[in-house]
Parts: sequence; C-alpha cells; structure tokens
Amino acid sequence: MFRHNVLNTLFLGVGFVLFQLNVAAQSCTSSLSGRVIDEHDKSALAYATIYLKENDKSALADSLGNYIIPHLCDGKYTLVCAHIGCETITQTIEIKGSTILNLYPEHHAYELGMAEVVVTKNQDPVAPIQHISILDLDRSAGQTLGEITTRVVGLTTLNTGNNISKPVIRGLHSNRVLIINNGVRQEGQQWGNEHAPEIDPFVAGDIEVIKGANSIRYGSDAIGGVIVLNPKSLRQDTGVGGEVNVVGFSNGRQGTVSAMLEVKPAKLSGFNWRIQGTAKRGGNVKTADYFVKNTGVSEYNFSWQSRYAFKNAIGEVFYSQFNTKIGIYSGAHIGNLTDLQRAFDSPGPLDSAGFSYTIGRPSQQINHELFKASLKFFLRGRNSLHVNFARQFNTRLEYDKHKPLNDSLAALDLPALQFNITTHTAEMMWKHFYKGFLQGSAGISVMNQGNTYQGRFFIPNFKKNTAGVFVIEQFKMMPNKLVFELGLRYDFIQQQVFMYEGKILVEPAFHYQGMAGNFAVKYTPTKQLSINYTFGTAWRPPHINELFSNGLHHGAAAFEIGDSTLTPERVLSNAFTFEFQTSNWFVAVEPYYNAFQNFIYLQPQLPPRLTIRGAFPTFYYKQAPVVMRGVDIHVSRSLVAGFEWVTKASILRANNSKTKEYIVMMPADRVENKLEWKREKWKKLNDISAGLAVQTVMKQWRVPANSDFVAPPKSYNLVNMTVGCSFQLKNQKLNVNVGIQNLLNTAYRDYLNRFRYYIDNPGRNVSIALKYQF
Amino acid sequence: MKKLNIKTLLFFALLAVAFSACEKDPKDPDDPQTPDNDGEVITTLKLVFTAIDANGSDFTATFRDSDGDGGNGPDIFDTIKLASNATYSVQIILLNETASPIDTISNEVAEENYDHLFCFTPAGANVTITRTDSDGKYEVGLESKWETGAASSGTVQVVLKHQPDIKTGSCDPGETDIDVLFPTVVN
Repeated sequence: MFRHNVLNTLFLGVGFVLFQLNVAAQSCTSSLSGRVIDEHDKSALAYATIYLKENDKSALADSLGNYIIPHLCDGKYTLVCAHIGCETITQTIEIKGSTILNLYPEHHAYELGMAEVVVTKNQDPVAPIQHISILDLDRSAGQTLGEITTRVVGLTTLNTGNNISKPVIRGLHSNRVLIINNGVRQEGQQWGNEHAPEIDPFVAGDIEVIKGANSIRYGSDAIGGVIVLNPKSLRQDTGVGGEVNVVGFSNGRQGTVSAMLEVKPAKLSGFNWRIQGTAKRGGNVKTADYFVKNTGVSEYNFSWQSRYAFKNAIGEVFYSQFNTKIGIYSGAHIGNLTDLQRAFDSPGPLDSAGFSYTIGRPSQQINHELFKASLKFFLRGRNSLHVNFARQFNTRLEYDKHKPLNDSLAALDLPALQFNITTHTAEMMWKHFYKGFLQGSAGISVMNQGNTYQGRFFIPNFKKNTAGVFVIEQFKMMPNKLVFELGLRYDFIQQQVFMYEGKILVEPAFHYQGMAGNFAVKYTPTKQLSINYTFGTAWRPPHINELFSNGLHHGAAAFEIGDSTLTPERVLSNAFTFEFQTSNWFVAVEPYYNAFQNFIYLQPQLPPRLTIRGAFPTFYYKQAPVVMRGVDIHVSRSLVAGFEWVTKASILRANNSKTKEYIVMMPADRVENKLEWKREKWKKLNDISAGLAVQTVMKQWRVPANSDFVAPPKSYNLVNMTVGCSFQLKNQKLNVNVGIQNLLNTAYRDYLNRFRYYIDNPGRNVSIALKYQF
Repeated sequence: MKKLNIKTLLFFALLAVAFSACEKDPKDPDDPQTPDNDGEVITTLKLVFTAIDANGSDFTATFRDSDGDGGNGPDIFDTIKLASNATYSVQIILLNETASPIDTISNEVAEENYDHLFCFTPAGANVTITRTDSDGKYEVGLESKWETGAASSGTVQVVLKHQPDIKTGSCDPGETDIDVLFPTVVN
C-alpha cells in the first residue's frame, strides 16, 4: 500500500517536472570571459580551469589564456580558477550580461588588497584528481565521510552496520588509504575495519580524491589512494558571515545542525577567523522490514580557525574536536560460531526492538582532537616556504554487550578496551618556479606517535617515528600540450612495541625504509581530448595490528593473529585517464592495473582455535603477490531541455597472482544510471535540479573458497531521488535539498557490510537539508 | 595599531594552546598494563562430580585456558571419566585465574542466575543429565544430576547461555559465554 503511494508521488513528481519543461524554454544568455594572466610577467597562463561552483559549469582556457563560459544567468557566483602550479583562486563574482574578468592566479594575498587569493590547495599534480564540489557536499549534507566519497566513481564503502562507514578506493581501505584533513595526515586507529574516520564533513569545503598510489606528498601508506579534505576558504570581504545547516533524515529520525560564523574585522586588516560546530543525533535505524536495535548515534564537533596575513607571510591556526558515540547492533555481538549461524538463519533480527534514541551496549565512543599551526612565507619570484605543525589526540573506547559479572568490576563501568594515540607531525615545504616551464616543491616531514591500550588485548602499546624527504617537479613541454611530473620520496620509519609476554616486558623494535616514486604525464592534443598516464610506486610498513594483533573479533566470530616477521608491502600502480569532452558529451574512462608485492591479507588456516566458548576459525596475516585491475567509467550526455543522462560504472578484479585465488572483501561490479534535470532559474528559484538514479550492485561471487561463513549476498538495485533549489534573498541564500535513498524500500544486504550476517541494510530514507548562508 | 595586531595574535595563540591542552594520553607507551589487568575472562570451567552411590567415586573434570581467549590454547582439558550405572551430583565452578586473587565467576553467575542457563548435551556417552537448581522460575544448571548407563564413550557439551531479560528455560536465545565439548568415557 505504502509502495503504491510512493509510486503515485513519483508519477506526480515526473508530471511536475514535465510541466516545468514547457515553461522552461528560455535559457540565460549572459556569459563570462576573460584571460588568465601571470601577474609577474604578464604572460598568458594556458589551460587554467575556470569553474563556477553554483551551477557546476566549467571552462578550460586555451593556449593564450583565453576562456569563455557561455549561457549563464545573471547573478552572483563563486568562481574557482585553478592552474597547474598556482594557488587556486576562489572568488565571488557578479555576472551581468557579457562579463569580462581577467584572472591572476597565485601571488601574495597581502598585496592583492581585497585578498581574493585563498590559500586552500597545494600544487595541482598532473595525476588526475576528482573533486567533490560544494554542490555535491550540499546534496549529501548529514552523511558520513565514507558515504559522501561514493559520489566519485570507483569509491565504495566498508560498513559496520549503519553508522560506521569507511571509504574504499578501488577495493583498498584502512591502512592503505590516507585521509588528509586540513593538510594533516589523519592519525587514529584507522587499521580497524570498524573504525570510521573521525572527521566532521561539514568542515570541508571541497573534497579531493586521488585514486591509486600517491605517496610523495603525504608519506607512506597511500597505496590505494588519498582523500584530501580542504576547509572552506575563510571570508574575503570585511564583515560578518556564516551559514546554518539543518538536516533531517526520516530513517533513524536523525537530525543534524551545523553552524558556522566567520568574521573579517574592518579594523584589523589581514586578520580573519571562523568558528564552526555540528551536533547530530539519531536513533534506531529501520531496514525495509524492521528496526535494528541499538543503532543510534550522537555526535558533536566544533572547530575554529584564525588567520593573519603579514606583509610577506600568512599564519594560520586551526583547532577541531570530533566526539561521537555510536551504538552497535547488539545481535552482532556473538559468543561463538553457533550463535552466528543462528543469527544468520533467523529470518528477522534476533535482537528486536522498536524505535529508540537510547544508545546502550555494545557501543563505541571516539574523541579526536586536531590542533594545527601553519606559516607560509612568500619568497622572491613566485616561490614560497610552508611550515606546519600539528598535534592529534585520538581516544577510542569500546564497550562490550555485557558488563563484567564481577560486581566490583561492573560498578566501574569501564570499556572493554580503550586506545589512546597521540601524534605530532611537522613539515616544511618549499615551492619553486623557474621561468614557467619547470615548477615543483620539495620538503621534509617528521612524525612522532605513541599508542597505549587498556583493557582487553588487541594491539600492544607502541611508539612510532617517521622521517621523510620528497621532491616533485613539473615540466611543461610542447606549448602546454604535454606536461610531465616526477616525484620521489624517501621515508624512514621506526616502530617499537611494548608488551608483556607472560610476565616479561618485551620491547621489539622495527626499522623500515623505502622509496616512493610517481611519474605522470598529461597530453592534451585537442581541446576535447586529454590523456593521462600515471605510474606510481608506494610502500607501507606492516602496521602494528598486522604484526601483533591477537584477539577475537566479537562481531566477526574469528581470531586474527598477527605475524611479527611481515615485510613492507609495495605497489606498482599504472593508471590511465582518457577524457573526452564536447558541448554535449563528457566521457572519462580510467583503466588501471596495480601489482602488489607482499600484499598483506588475512588467510583462514586450520586448525580452529579452541577457547572456552568453543572453536573459532583463525585468520593469520599473510603476504602474497596480488594483482588488482579494473576500470572506472563516467559518461554524461546532455539531452534536450536541461536533461542530462549520467552513467557511472566500476569493475574490479583482484587475484593472488601466484595461486590465482580471488582476494576477499572486494567491492562487486556496479553501475549507476541517473537522469538529471537542471534549470538555472525559474521565477524566484535558482539552481533547480531533480534527479532519479538507479544503482545496480552485482553479487560478488569472486571470493576465495572457504574463507567466509556464508555466501556473499545477492545482487540488488536501489532507486534514489534528489530534488534541490535555492532562493536568493537580499544578502542571504537558502538552499533546499530533498533526497530519498532507497525509494522502493528494498530489503538488501551488501557484501562490504560486515553486519551482512545479521541484518539488512537500511530501508527508505527521506532527507531534507536546508542551508542558510548570510 | 601594529602592536594591537600582535597582541591579538598572541591572544589567539594562547587560546589555541589552552584549548588543545585539554586532552592528553594519561599513559606512557613504554609502560604497558600488566597482563593481569585486561578485564574479565573466564579461564576455567570445573565440573565437580560427587558420587552419590557406591558405583562411582568423586572426580573433577577441568577445562582451563589460563591466558583467556587467544594466545595459547587450553593447558588443561580433561576427559570426563565416569563409572557405569552410577549417579553423580555435579557442581560447576567457573574461575578467572588471570585475576589476583582468583575470581570465582560462578558465584557471580549464581547471583545473576535469572540471566543464565547451563545446557548439557551428551552424544554417544550413556549419560542422562538433569539440572537440579532453580532461579525461582527456571532451572539454572550450576547444580545437576548425572546418571550413567552402560559403558560407552562420546562427548558431553556444556554450554552457558547469557540470557538477560530473555530467559525462557530454553537453550536457544542469548549469547554463548561457554561452549566446551568434553570427551566422555563411561566405564
């Protein structure tokens, strides 16, 4: 009955859209054009990208620096101008008729008076970067970082229930994916499959995804890729501004409020600051058929940032705190394999519940604190020196389903295990330019880390020190049709473990060193076509959990046993990007072939481990040569009357290259087809958009034999819908985005959800996101 | 004006330090917690057999995994050896031997007997097992009566189910705290 109603609503919606089409015949006729010019020598800067955030339109400057974006409506826009080797410009502009605007990338913020130049990004590498723009961020407001990144083709998530999701880049995650938050390597307990990134996505103004090995800039571990979160640039005009986001989700009756206030005082020129905070509360999530007990979440975060522009330098201080408490579905905390089989065989959840906001046991409680101070000195020419220091505290408390039986222990109400990790990082980088054809950066970075645990043993205490030096250079050849980039990095890593073996304290130490390299070339034969090839090699030392973990996973009913003799893992990655763009078509095809040496993975091994709770399958950390190859495809075709068809597909194959055995936990092949409709203006509404998407995820049958308790779940189709628009008030702007995830309330399970043994994925979820900017 | 700028900056720098100094790891990595401090584990299950007729004699069968789950396997894993056609009364004792002094967990189970149930499943061995204690409503199994028949050999599975608020007298619901399959011989 309900489904019937939804369909009715859907048809009404389509009718509404069609009706709008008739009135929508007229299109905007204004345009934006100009030149991109090097301020120092007034020479043209070729092939800069000019992008308007509000309507997602972009243009590429030609070899003389000329650009044009036609068919624009009058109004205020946020313009982003990016050029290889330059600081990205973010600027608010007003378009009225045929507007001409010349752009001068890079240069000293102080000199520009109005300070349009914003220090947000590092040098653009030649290797392709995918952006999740502010527009996409608005549409996914309130979601976790993992969910947001799935907007990029080739990215999926590894979930533990509904509230814990980790980004997966072409099948790789955790120890193999680096997350750079505000220029700092995010350091917590990222090795754990059920440990989500401790980041408030509302802080980000732009998310960059680099697929494939890219270790040069940020250090070892970036075997699978890098996710870079850049904060929104600080306010440029004198005055007070801010925004308020209010997001509601029907599923879990989840609400999120996020507010930001920024000030650039008139009296203190060169000084500006911002404070920001987010609060989130959600209750039990509902699958298509039932509520899932103890799946609430509560989160509160805040951050502040201040910046001062000196005559020849910019200093910045950033502080953020992330605090969350996450309920874990209680039926997934099992005693032994018999319990697991019983949970899997049961048609519904074994631990049933209605709706509740209460977060009981089991649960996770995580705090993450980041403090960062940075200084950028402007040197002669366009050179600059960057220095930054950061400190991170991360605390993770995990509570078991039951308190201890012992009354005095139970009264303490301690977590079953607790990790504290403290990380200090410092970095110095020199950016340099020679005569336009050669530019690059070189730097050194150091890190010091200490980890402790209390409670049940899973990984031991350790100290870790790393030091690295790197250099990245770009050469422009053939009047900007051909750009090369070469990067090299050397890292030295020292780890020492402190643990008791019996009654004796042992302190084994490990030293690793290695080189990482990147070679990228971008060839742009015509305006329509660009070809990119990137070769990267990156390495990572085995992480402490791979060396020393020795414990039982309550959710997975399995033992994980580390191996202290593991050697570093290395990848040789080859990635192509072919991009073809005309006025109606956009086609991007990205094939890749990644070969791993000493790939570290968990292998089931007999005999099972006997405990007082019965026998458990035992997984040992092993190493093997592995090959992962696949392709990500993104095609969009503009149709008539503002309609656009978008197809995104990704295919991945991963095998042990010796035994040909499949690698476990790889995302299944998937394709998403989306029909989108956009209109820039209708009466008082701007940026009107509507989209209907069907996502198909195949069954992952490419799994190793005898390594899982149950077969992977079957394939599924999900229908998702979005509608959005904005109102321009006098000096304020209101964005409204409505979304329906899993519109048809399909009951399904996903292979990369670790709770697939126990419960379905969430059912229909209607969301409303309001964003008010002033 | 210039002075003011620097003062403001200093103020913010101080604020930054003040804000970020509020959390710290209380422990030093090179001083890890000692192994006897890693929470509650059940290391030992003892079945204390008391012969209540002349055919059998008193006997204790033990399963002990002295370092808890993981690490080393069980260091004591007895076979239950019973006389044929005998009757025993059996008491279950659970210990946490990693704690000092040793914690008798079965006392805690007795205290919360309304949340716990022991289940006994013989296979092959000629034994009939009946629970003889009660939480007031349902049986518990800390105390039981074992009656043997003719000589035989097989196994007896001893399971402890934790059933908070869901105890129905059945072994089905709840979470398994103990599951030991004792080899059993009836002579």
